[in-house]
Amino acid sequence: MSQPLLEVIELRKHFYQRRGLLDALTREADARIIPAVDGVSFSLHENETLGLVGESGCGKTTTGKAILKLMSMNGGKILYQSTDITAYTPAQFRPLRRDIQMIFQDLDAALNPKICIADTLREAIRVREPDANAAAVQSQIYELLDLVNLKKNKLSNFPSELSGGEKRRIGIARVLAVRPKLIVADEPTSALDVSIQAQVINLLRDLQAQFGLSFLFISHDLQLVELMSHRVAVMYLGQIVEMGPAKEIANTPRHPYTSVLWSSIVEKRSMEVPSGAGPNAWGVFDFERPSGGCRFAPRCPIYAQRGRPIECTDPDFPPMLKPTNQGHMVACHFPL
Amino acid sequence: MTESLHIRPPLLRVENLRTYFYSQVKRAFARSVDGVDLDVERGETLGIVGESGSGKSVTMLSAVGLVTAGPGVITGKVTFHDEAPLDLLQGLDSNVEIKHRNGRIMHIAKDNQAWQKQADRNLRGVRGGKISMIFQNPRAALNPFETVGKQIAESVRLHTGMKSAVQAKERALYWLEQVHIDSPRLRYDNHPYGLSGGMSQRAMIAMALAAEPRMLIADEPTTGLDATIQARIVDLLDDLKSRLGMTMVLISHDIGVISRLSNRIAVMYGGRVMETGPSAEVLDESADGHPYTRALLASTPRRENITASGHLPAIEGDVLDTINVPCGCRFRERCQRINDTVRTRCETIEPELFEITPGRRIRCWLYSPQ
Repeated sequence: MSQPLLEVIELRKHFYQRRGLLDALTREADARIIPAVDGVSFSLHENETLGLVGESGCGKTTTGKAILKLMSMNGGKILYQSTDITAYTPAQFRPLRRDIQMIFQDLDAALNPKICIADTLREAIRVREPDANAAAVQSQIYELLDLVNLKKNKLSNFPSELSGGEKRRIGIARVLAVRPKLIVADEPTSALDVSIQAQVINLLRDLQAQFGLSFLFISHDLQLVELMSHRVAVMYLGQIVEMGPAKEIANTPRHPYTSVLWSSIVEKRSMEVPSGAGPNAWGVFDFERPSGGCRFAPRCPIYAQRGRPIECTDPDFPPMLKPTNQGHMVACHFPL
Repeated sequence: MTESLHIRPPLLRVENLRTYFYSQVKRAFARSVDGVDLDVERGETLGIVGESGSGKSVTMLSAVGLVTAGPGVITGKVTFHDEAPLDLLQGLDSNVEIKHRNGRIMHIAKDNQAWQKQADRNLRGVRGGKISMIFQNPRAALNPFETVGKQIAESVRLHTGMKSAVQAKERALYWLEQVHIDSPRLRYDNHPYGLSGGMSQRAMIAMALAAEPRMLIADEPTTGLDATIQARIVDLLDDLKSRLGMTMVLISHDIGVISRLSNRIAVMYGGRVMETGPSAEVLDESADGHPYTRALLASTPRRENITASGHLPAIEGDVLDTINVPCGCRFRERCQRINDTVRTRCETIEPELFEITPGRRIRCWLYSPQ
């Protein structure tokens, strides 16, 4: 297989929860560490889509932002085209910004409300070609609009005059203006209606076929991820618990969490999610993470069924991501 | 024998409801709800499905007098028939004055205070006690300065006969247990910020149920929650529905949630009901139905819906602009099943809801009996 376009190795990002004055006086004064991303490794090839799924707070967006250096890291390495870019200064990273782009979740925050659509796109084109003449830029703007199926009469509009789907298209057009190779798409359709969502999904798929783009597709919508991605990585509390081809992850999940996650798609449910899980079965997201061993154990149906095996909570023996078969990896002591 | 002959009217009947909001900037009305008829029978769950701006929430908010926004008009008739019929919109019109010129609305004067007073008078004893509502954002619906338990107990004391504090507390604990909150006695003293998203959603459901309402309106009860928690909330509502025999109106854009919980479905588009019928029939993808409903079902991201070219069958175009509503059918600009035999009618006259089988009605010229 060819060299991956992007490689992320043991990425770590910790947040610090500051304690209040009273806590500082009564207990130890040090801040509490929340490991939002805790040793995440994956690779992404050209023309490939890797889906990143998980519940809110599992660190999907943080991972995406760290790749774009929008957030500092506490450990790990990021390799882009086999070059270690972890220690790049902002100035060094600047040329790479063209290659690696992000589509943000918030439609309104991503576009400047005081700049009309034509200028938004013009600015992005100027980043790539600072010396292009006005006519060339204009023709490129038309090309971009064509790519995202928007009419030319929208060019003089401001973001507030566009609908959600149109804003999303402009966001995508702007990203395409710099001809990126890798796009981190963070919940690109979560703010859109179902009928518009389908349009955007089709657009992203077409663009991938046309330009050979690679996507890191971050979403909490399981069915959407399954459709969009070639491979899927499932995250739980800052770690990847399972990674493999999208179809296998959806149809024959090996990790109990993946299984719980997929069986909770409301439409597919006729039966109860494997019950008998612990008190946290309701998915109470708590920053009091398990101190050692498997992080999913308190919610795990298998852990409960097997009579709470000691391996699962052994702090010296956390489950590691191990390959099960071709391209499929799972981090569980008792995979399904 | 006499029982069966005596047909009870539906619990809630909405007739020709129109809710218009006036946009000062555009000097025009946004016709959010534009002539909606709905019946909610006793004991059933009616699912209202539609995209954003289709008027699904505004319909129910108008019905229970929660639409207060500045210069806006609500007309039509909403009858809540518990023991005696009660007109929930009675006398509201007299507080609005609309000046027309050449058929266009030039000026609106609305006495907001009197309007609100009248609405409150109409809904006294209904809101909360007879009709309860749960919202999308539980954090906004719960009082952040009061413990969850006290808020539920307050709901008990206000809306049921239980007046003693001890009794109310016991009842509140019972409801916390009913919504599967662990160790209710501990959670009783929690403030809303101490609860996770799913838990505060359940606390809000407990608060709504504590009033022992005749009807529960759930407005996007699972939107914004994680898939695992979403599934549990749906299970909970399903369970409560069958155990308490509750009448429920469920508003959601998520067809999955709607299909799990509803007996009957109303599909809304651009302020109008496009299709109503038993949920199994409306959502049966192999069967016939309104072009919008079909297209909506086909565009949901599921593996079965992917076409050979790897695309999702999207609905082209954008959701309807309720300020400039086109004449004819509201969906015609995005409709893919429009053909030459019906085209002229689609473009000029808005279809009615044609009854195709008993209880199944479709607003589309393709289903016109002539």
